[in-house]
Amino acid sequence: MVTSAIREYDNTGNDPAVRQPLVTGDNDFASVTDKVCSVVESKTPLAWYILFGISSFWALILFAMIAYLFWEGIGVWGLNVPVAWAFDITNFVFWVGIGHAGTLISAILYLFRQQWRTSINRFAEAMTIFAVMTAGIFPLIHIGRPWLAYWLFPYPNQMAMWPQFRSPLMWDVFAVSAYMTVSMLFWYVGMIPDLATLRDRAKDKFSRMVYGVLALGWRGSHRHWHRHEVAYLLLAALATPLVLSVHSVVSFDFAVSQLPGWHTTIFPPYFVAGAIFGGFAMVLTLAIPARRYLGLKEIITLRHIENMNKIVLLTSMMVGYAYAMEFFIAWYGGNSYELFAFLNRAMGPYAWSYWTMIVCNVVVPQLLWFKYCRTNTIITFIIMIFINVGMWFERFVIIVTSLHRDFLPSSWGMFYPTMVDILTLIGSFGFFFSMFLLFLRFGPIVAMAEVKTVMPQAHLEHGHRRGVGDYHGDVHDANNSDSK
Amino acid sequence: MPSVKQSGQDTGKAYWRSLNELAGTAEFQDWVHREFPNHADEWLKGDSRRSFLKVMAASFALAGLTACRWPEEKIVAFSRRPEAVNPGVPAYFATAMETGGYGVGLVVKSFDGRPVKAEGNTEHPCSRGATTLQAQASILEMYDPERGNRYARREGAQTAYPSRDQFNHEARSHFAKYQANGGRGLYFLSEATNSPTMLDLRRRMRAAIPNAIWYEYEPISYDHEREGTRALFGRPYRLQPHFDRAKVILSLDHDFLTQHPASLAWARDYAASRDPKQDEISRLYAVEGVYSLTGAMADHRVILEPSRIEGFTFALLDKVIGLLGNDFHLSSAIGDEARRFRNESYPQDVLNAIANDLVNHRGAGVVVAGPRQSAAVHAAAQLLNVILGNVGETVGYILDAQPERPHHYEAIADLTRQIEGGAVETLVILGGNPAYDAPADLDFSEKLSQVSTSFHLSLYENETSKRCSWYVPRAHHLESWGDAIAYDGTVSMVQPLIAPLYEGMSAIEAVALAMGDELTRGYDLVRRTFEPRFGAENFEAAWRTALHDGVVANSAPAVVAPSVDEERVLRMMRDVEPPSATPTTDEIDLVFLADPRLYDGRYANNGWLQELPDTLTKLTWDNALFLSPATAKTLGARHERMARLTLDGESKEIVVYVMPGLAPNTAAVWLGHGRRDAGRVGNGVGFDVYPLRASTAMDLKPGASIEPLRQRYILASTQDHFAIDALGARERERRVKTLIQEANHQHYKENPTFAKEYGEHYPKHDLWTPPVEYDGHKWGMAIDLNSCIGCNACVVACQAENNIPVVGKQQVRRGREMHWIRVDTYFKGDPNDPGVAHQPMTCLHCENAPCEQVCPVAATVHDHEGLNVMVYNRCVGTRYCSNNCPVKVRRFNFFNFNYGLREVEKMRFNPEVTVRNRGVMEKCTFCTQRLQEAKIRARNEKRPLHDGEAVSACAQACPTKAITFGDLNDVKSEIARKHEDERCYSILDILYIKPRAQYLARIHNPNPELVNLDNADTNHGHVSHT
Repeated sequence: MVTSAIREYDNTGNDPAVRQPLVTGDNDFASVTDKVCSVVESKTPLAWYILFGISSFWALILFAMIAYLFWEGIGVWGLNVPVAWAFDITNFVFWVGIGHAGTLISAILYLFRQQWRTSINRFAEAMTIFAVMTAGIFPLIHIGRPWLAYWLFPYPNQMAMWPQFRSPLMWDVFAVSAYMTVSMLFWYVGMIPDLATLRDRAKDKFSRMVYGVLALGWRGSHRHWHRHEVAYLLLAALATPLVLSVHSVVSFDFAVSQLPGWHTTIFPPYFVAGAIFGGFAMVLTLAIPARRYLGLKEIITLRHIENMNKIVLLTSMMVGYAYAMEFFIAWYGGNSYELFAFLNRAMGPYAWSYWTMIVCNVVVPQLLWFKYCRTNTIITFIIMIFINVGMWFERFVIIVTSLHRDFLPSSWGMFYPTMVDILTLIGSFGFFFSMFLLFLRFGPIVAMAEVKTVMPQAHLEHGHRRGVGDYHGDVHDANNSDSK
Repeated sequence: MPSVKQSGQDTGKAYWRSLNELAGTAEFQDWVHREFPNHADEWLKGDSRRSFLKVMAASFALAGLTACRWPEEKIVAFSRRPEAVNPGVPAYFATAMETGGYGVGLVVKSFDGRPVKAEGNTEHPCSRGATTLQAQASILEMYDPERGNRYARREGAQTAYPSRDQFNHEARSHFAKYQANGGRGLYFLSEATNSPTMLDLRRRMRAAIPNAIWYEYEPISYDHEREGTRALFGRPYRLQPHFDRAKVILSLDHDFLTQHPASLAWARDYAASRDPKQDEISRLYAVEGVYSLTGAMADHRVILEPSRIEGFTFALLDKVIGLLGNDFHLSSAIGDEARRFRNESYPQDVLNAIANDLVNHRGAGVVVAGPRQSAAVHAAAQLLNVILGNVGETVGYILDAQPERPHHYEAIADLTRQIEGGAVETLVILGGNPAYDAPADLDFSEKLSQVSTSFHLSLYENETSKRCSWYVPRAHHLESWGDAIAYDGTVSMVQPLIAPLYEGMSAIEAVALAMGDELTRGYDLVRRTFEPRFGAENFEAAWRTALHDGVVANSAPAVVAPSVDEERVLRMMRDVEPPSATPTTDEIDLVFLADPRLYDGRYANNGWLQELPDTLTKLTWDNALFLSPATAKTLGARHERMARLTLDGESKEIVVYVMPGLAPNTAAVWLGHGRRDAGRVGNGVGFDVYPLRASTAMDLKPGASIEPLRQRYILASTQDHFAIDALGARERERRVKTLIQEANHQHYKENPTFAKEYGEHYPKHDLWTPPVEYDGHKWGMAIDLNSCIGCNACVVACQAENNIPVVGKQQVRRGREMHWIRVDTYFKGDPNDPGVAHQPMTCLHCENAPCEQVCPVAATVHDHEGLNVMVYNRCVGTRYCSNNCPVKVRRFNFFNFNYGLREVEKMRFNPEVTVRNRGVMEKCTFCTQRLQEAKIRARNEKRPLHDGEAVSACAQACPTKAITFGDLNDVKSEIARKHEDERCYSILDILYIKPRAQYLARIHNPNPELVNLDNADTNHGHVSHT
């Protein structure tokens, strides 16, 4: 095809004198709307069916595994004493971590006025929701008597029993459910104008009905916009501390216990950094194919990819620092149990998983120092796959290697996953991708209304402030910097 | 209201007579039979409350019949409660259990006619309140649904299942012939038994059918001791050592602490001799080739190939005679003979040190030899006791109960010859399993098929039963009347706690039937036996006292000091070939050991024992070929790989287990595995090595060859000693020094509080919260590592008391064993000569418990008596508590391990303990149900709780009283004293967990001649010596 010969517009320049456009190509408001909506409105491509078929097959495997688990008991997994948590909590922390990027992009970058977030925030938020949903499965199914999972919630009951509020698992329940609720709200509130767009463009009655209901009667009035933006800002302010708190609390599951390898004060910031790191890697993993195959290259541009890569590089350095600092403190702290826990990570029977983690999370991302790698989507994609693997192993290393050799050598043991463990892990990806593919098919995957605000067209009325205001690029010639 | 008196016979005698009459009436018999065994399958199907109560009533009736303390009562359903029978209130009965011919007293707890727990009998001198693992596990055996439950008659391929009455009828007519011909052609093969009733029956048999021949066979026999003492004194004696008075103990390949019929008593005595508060504690030398628990306790473990121990013993005899000089009172010819055994290949410093020590402690030493060692070693060992003047001081003897009986190994060979000669028409096999465990070269199982009529009385329809023309279900010792003689000669009663579940008959009943005795019922037979002993005058009183106490008072014969028959000794010594001065190093000794759990294989279908981790190897559900690391390396054999073991042309593939501390060129195997007809639990578990065991070498045999194979075989061991990387091994070595505090006695006397000084300590008081006061009871436990011999009795006792499920090999392999208490074992030092330390580990009931803080649903909480309690109902199973438990004693129900139990199996459950469902965490409760029971009893009687009244199952079973349990608030209690002891320390102090279960440091007493005490790392030193 002819279009493939045209090189993608490079908006990654760092010349401060040049305001790079965040939407490239010859786009106006209408074309942005068309492009984003066409993803939903066009005939479902065969590829989607294939992908969805695969994903939902694995999702079914997940549910089959859960059914088997419920029928037989936790013993179908490879857990034992001493390793009483393994894949279950690893998967939980992994998916909760993934669920970090979305809200971070939406809320924190919003508050910091990082305008480039608009192209990817919807996407990332959806990913967050689905990741947290996937994560939420694991605490529920990992308990021995899942039919009593509701006992973890404080509800009035005839036993006059409250949950035990000293337990970090209890805090988890609140942190994750609060995070889930706020993320959901934030995502949904942000989506209302776009849902209204879909409603207005809907060609059949059914989708008009559905989008109509979901759009909550949005008419685009000034008052609507005003209320919407206030609500969005408030939710962003509410979500911001949650981004930091949820993974801090998840890290308390470990840090508050007294197990060597878990009992470390560095865990909250380390977990948050790791979560952002893993979350961004997952956003990129999803965004790169999506922009390519859904025709969104002009909206999710190379500049977006590069910006995210920079965050990935930063957070990779942070987790690398945390890894090093754990070791340093294990030695410096003089606690022999802790020192052994860390030596055992690096040199014990699970050393392979530790070094997998180090290579994936610290070594490979160093490639992102090179602009070539940051702006090459294929290289980026490969690096992100490494990071996804590495982040899963990070949690595996923390959980399993600490548990398998604790205080008494007599109770040391090994964990070996069963097929059910492995299928459950793969199945969780199936579930996540199924949900995500459904969203790709039926939801506004880019925040159209927000993207339009960062297009030059949005600021035409401020003629005298062209080039110095808060818009990006120029209506006619974005590369021409002399327009004053 | 029916009462004791209502039936009209008020006097004691009438009372018993009426019961006898009652028991004899046809209606009663019919009633019992109808309710019980003919419909034993009701257990498998119907479990309605009504049928349960009916059965309960029947067992009560029988209990009333059998146990003297039950009131006389017509049998009624529980619509009217018999007086003194309180549903839910346990009753205790004294009884006894005979294994290998030796009895051990038990007190069995029974709920509503169901025996649920065996305890030791404090009145019994060979129990003293403690129990062996097998006694604990016999409860499970009794309720085993796979015990033989029907009479069977095989003719060719046909099997008929007659009723008990039919069997009785046919048997009577079959044996009538022998009663007519004096018993010609009638042979008995019994497992070893010294039961007075059986001896009495045999006396009568000799009169009635003099030509019937009686053999006894045990695959694990203590007969070498008989032969040794016979060679020394002219008659077979049983050694009666007093370890408590001993200062120097020499064990020649003898695991006397755990592998002997009198081990419970001996272990208690041994522990007493090691009380570090004494000025001088005993010193134990263990000369052995295979690591035993006695070797693990030894101050000096001398590692020798088992075949060289004989030479060592005589070399030592020579040294001792030399040192005694003029004090040697026997003929100098003995000294001359001993001189032949001087041999430079033995470690001379060790020989000298032991000889000096023994001579310096004349009259305060004990020399014992193990059952695997030859009669000559036994003779030499006892000769040492004699010449050292130990006899009469620390050692005595009693005559064996059957002095004329041939050696077990000879008996079975003789019987086989008789079968070959065609003399055996009818063979009655009482217990045992000779088709499985007879010496391989006799080919007994083949010969057995040649016998025209054979009966096998057995608990299980096993390998032997399948080859006999008749199978007769045997009544379990908890179901039948009987009696037994303990190792020290004490006579005990065996009384039933329940009617036979499967219509079984006991051995004495079977013999009475075969010889046509006028009495047929065990109860009558036993009473008849004791009539002459008790006298007609006050028979009832004596009988009832004996039943109540479980022992017949003053029945143990007096200990004697027989004189040495010097001629015999010389003859014996001349027959012993002195070992070569240059021992060959390429011959491998193969040693056959009794499985510490399954014994000779008879307990193979017992899940508790199969799953019990052997203390030293931590092996469950298997046996293996044990090789020392050095030997394994030389042979190229690897841990958990198969090897082909060949001995005298017979070969067998078996998995290799590399075991530290074995002698070089020594291979050891446990007998009792690889059963084919044990039952669902025991079939095919492990490897059958009986085919390698020939009648000429039943215990050890040099000249085995081992060929390593590539094939892997997965063992289920609960603690990995070897499959560990260097990093882990180093750390383990380092940690053990803090976990297990030990010191030499001298060091301890200089610094008694050494144990408290290890590692880092945190302030004893919290900075933020005031300490919790426990006003009422304050339960605590102390485990004295100086006394713990690692016998595992606590583990099985806990399993029985607390309804702990058996999970199977695969689950153990996954690390999901459920034992609430475990015995941690750590090897230290050189793997070829390691030291060993045991540490029983259970829930420490930390006052500041890490588990409690992390449970999201408050399912594990602290109570006001300081117990860390687990609320099963509330537990949702997050397993967080287990992760946060520093000693990992919490156990999780990964599956419903109690699923699919048959009704009869459910009867074994202790009704006072919840049976846990899947998905629930569980752990040691300090036997909270026992504490409640004791507290309620005390409150009802309006008195404070006495010390020792509320005691955990593990503490009660412990032979050495290493585990102490009690109320710390009771300042006079044993437990309070132990917690105040200077040796007392708590592990993992660094975590500030404030455990209620604390440990007392272990004290060694090495010989300064062999170890430089000043240079030795006295605190944590490895003090064993080659």
